[in-house]
Amino acid sequence: MPKPDFGFSFAPNRALELSVPLLPEVQAVLEAEPSIRACMACGQCAAVCTAGVFTPLAFYRLVLQLWAGEVEVVGQRAQHCMLCGKCQMTCPRGVNIRNALLLMAALLPPKP
Amino acid sequence: MEKSAWFVWPFMLGFMFALAVLLLRYLWWLRSLLRRPSSRLLSRMFSKHSLLAVREIFSEGLLHLRIYKRNRRLGFMHMSLALGWFMMIVGGKFETWFHSGQFLHGTWYAVFFRYFEPQTVGGWAGTFWLHYMDFGLLLVLTGLALAIVKRIRKKVLGIHSTTRHTLVNRVALTFLWMIFPLRLVAEALTFGQHGGGGFLTGALGRCCFTSGTLAGLELPFWWAYSLSLGAFFVVLPFSRYLHIPTEMVLILLRHWGLQAAEDLQPEKALQAFEIHACSSCGLCLDVCPAIKDHPFQSAYFLRALRSGKGWESLASTCLSCGACEEACPINLGLEKLRMAARGKIHEKHHAVYSYLPTVGPVETSKVDVLLFTGCMGRLKPATTKALKDLFEEAGLSWVHLDEQESICCGRPLALAGRASEASALREHNRSLIKGQQARMLVTTCPICLKQFRDDYRLELPVYHHSEVLWSCLSSGSLKREKGTACFSYHDPCELGRKSTCYQAPRELLQSCGTLLSLEREQADALCCGNSLGSLSLSLSERQALTSRTLKVLEVPGAQSIVTSCPLCQHNLARQSSLPVKDLAEVLAVTGLPEQQGQRKAALAAVQEL
Ligand code: SF4
Ligand code: SF4
Ligand code: SF4
Ligand code: SF4
Ligand code: SF4
Repeated sequence: MPKPDFGFSFAPNRALELSVPLLPEVQAVLEAEPSIRACMACGQCAAVCTAGVFTPLAFYRLVLQLWAGEVEVVGQRAQHCMLCGKCQMTCPRGVNIRNALLLMAALLPPKP
Repeated sequence: MEKSAWFVWPFMLGFMFALAVLLLRYLWWLRSLLRRPSSRLLSRMFSKHSLLAVREIFSEGLLHLRIYKRNRRLGFMHMSLALGWFMMIVGGKFETWFHSGQFLHGTWYAVFFRYFEPQTVGGWAGTFWLHYMDFGLLLVLTGLALAIVKRIRKKVLGIHSTTRHTLVNRVALTFLWMIFPLRLVAEALTFGQHGGGGFLTGALGRCCFTSGTLAGLELPFWWAYSLSLGAFFVVLPFSRYLHIPTEMVLILLRHWGLQAAEDLQPEKALQAFEIHACSSCGLCLDVCPAIKDHPFQSAYFLRALRSGKGWESLASTCLSCGACEEACPINLGLEKLRMAARGKIHEKHHAVYSYLPTVGPVETSKVDVLLFTGCMGRLKPATTKALKDLFEEAGLSWVHLDEQESICCGRPLALAGRASEASALREHNRSLIKGQQARMLVTTCPICLKQFRDDYRLELPVYHHSEVLWSCLSSGSLKREKGTACFSYHDPCELGRKSTCYQAPRELLQSCGTLLSLEREQADALCCGNSLGSLSLSLSERQALTSRTLKVLEVPGAQSIVTSCPLCQHNLARQSSLPVKDLAEVLAVTGLPEQQGQRKAALAAVQEL
């Protein structure tokens, strides 16, 4: 059967698999900071982030990656955060971004 | 001992039990010190520091002067309970010595002295001790009456919130409340039957208990008194009353130079004594901006630390506004404890800052001011612009250190309990400063101010912009006319309570307008609600705090709210019906009427469109 043309395509590895349960460590982060669920990926947090100027840290992306279970990338990038709070000051949804990033950075064991 | 005197045993057993448990607990807490006593501690032990400690134990453990200064009625309640009891203990010792000629007796002898020696004689001195002991008892009973009133109608004692107690504390409280009325009746019965007694017990005995039919009640009441004392001592080491002996040891250890650890060790060294010295007096409750929303106040946080359960969420929700630390009568290091707890929660957190740009050697000519506006300042360029205009007007030259990319000062990490991770950030900012020739470092953010002052160990002085502007105004390099504007001023926590800067902002505002007085200001000011200190307070709770703070600030007559923290300014402005400005903006605008005119014209033009 020819593939239907929807006018857009998406990369299979980026798709959210809703039938697969969340990883336990992802669940733990969401439980410890439930406001992460309120993020609507508007991107303001990334627009003001100084760490994001030098590194690939962009909080709203980390949220999406967290949902997708990419804990390694999330942990690595969250470790660049300075906890300065600029992102939180601009967030229209009141996400406790600093706490979320503290928890995300702990997903990755520190390098010796 | 006669059979009838066996009633002393419940007291004796309870007392010995309490002593043994206390000794074991204290030795356990001090284990590391006992193994390796520091020479500093030993040298301070035999010096004037010990005398100073005794003085503090007297003024705080007995007289409760700090509570008295905050709230007279409450202070009197604590004082009468502690001082009265202390008077009776000391008096009991002297009385038995006086009567028997022997200094040492079984502990029980002094406690139940009246039962054994109802017919005490000894001229005026004997009379003195009788009345003295009655006075002590009266003092305790007054305190007790106030404590009962406090539980039923707290407003009478000038407080709005009292600590909600756990079961073991309520049990202990009941026994404590029973002790002294029982002693009063037991003594009165004895005096009623045998004659004698002071102005309280003797009089009560003569008027109510002389009838021979009551003789059979004497011993049961002494039993009840002993039982309630014994029971109180059994629960003491497991209830909040552990604070009574612990506070005294804490004061001693502090004077001997011991400091609380940076990491959480609730069963070790000074931290253990701090956690257990809290009396749950509740002074930290009324001052907490979040008292209506969240039970994370220090009294509850410390209790959770003592039980080892549930302290995590209490530690991370609190706003670290510092109001409870300011109010605490035994000066507990509450912020440090909270940071230690947060550090424990996030001990797996790890930061990597190898990406920070390296700063080459800076070579500049001498300037007056190194300006650091910080992360929050970056989001509020209007404040920075206003300040630079004012510097220009005052003839100050400056270098703006973090104009390009602002690297955080490190305090937000410290507030999250990750101070150890902040060293790379501090190093970066230090290298910006190194090599610069300037008279001072000025920050527009109180959070940065605190961090630079406390942890950077710089060679030049660090000021908040309000302090510099005030000195410009008083030296005459900046001139302002008093206008008609009416301001209410919000004290940022980090500038007020944490850096004790209250005067400069007020003087500045008074120089160009009228400053209104508020119901809660200076050290009693409320937090704006958006503190970096809280990690997990939800948006709706933060908004509730902000509206409460605004209620204080939006007094009749106020035309604008002024503050001196970019975070407070932004946060208050989001919910305020009045304009919210930074001090620098107010000063810059009042100085330039033509600029005001321009703004009005621009606004009018926009409205016409
Ligand atoms: S600013 Fe807030 S809502 Fe917007 S993307 Fe960032 S976290 Fe999500
Ligand atoms: S707190 Fe972290 S993520 Fe947010 S702006 Fe600062 S560095 Fe970026
Ligand atoms: S923390 Fe201080 S103010 Fe609060 S209850 Fe304990 S002793 Fe009282
Ligand atoms: S620091 Fe402030 S918010 Fe936290 S418990 Fe104390 S008074 Fe309440
Ligand atoms: S934002 Fe302001 S009031 Fe709020 S915590 Fe900061 S300094 Fe305190």
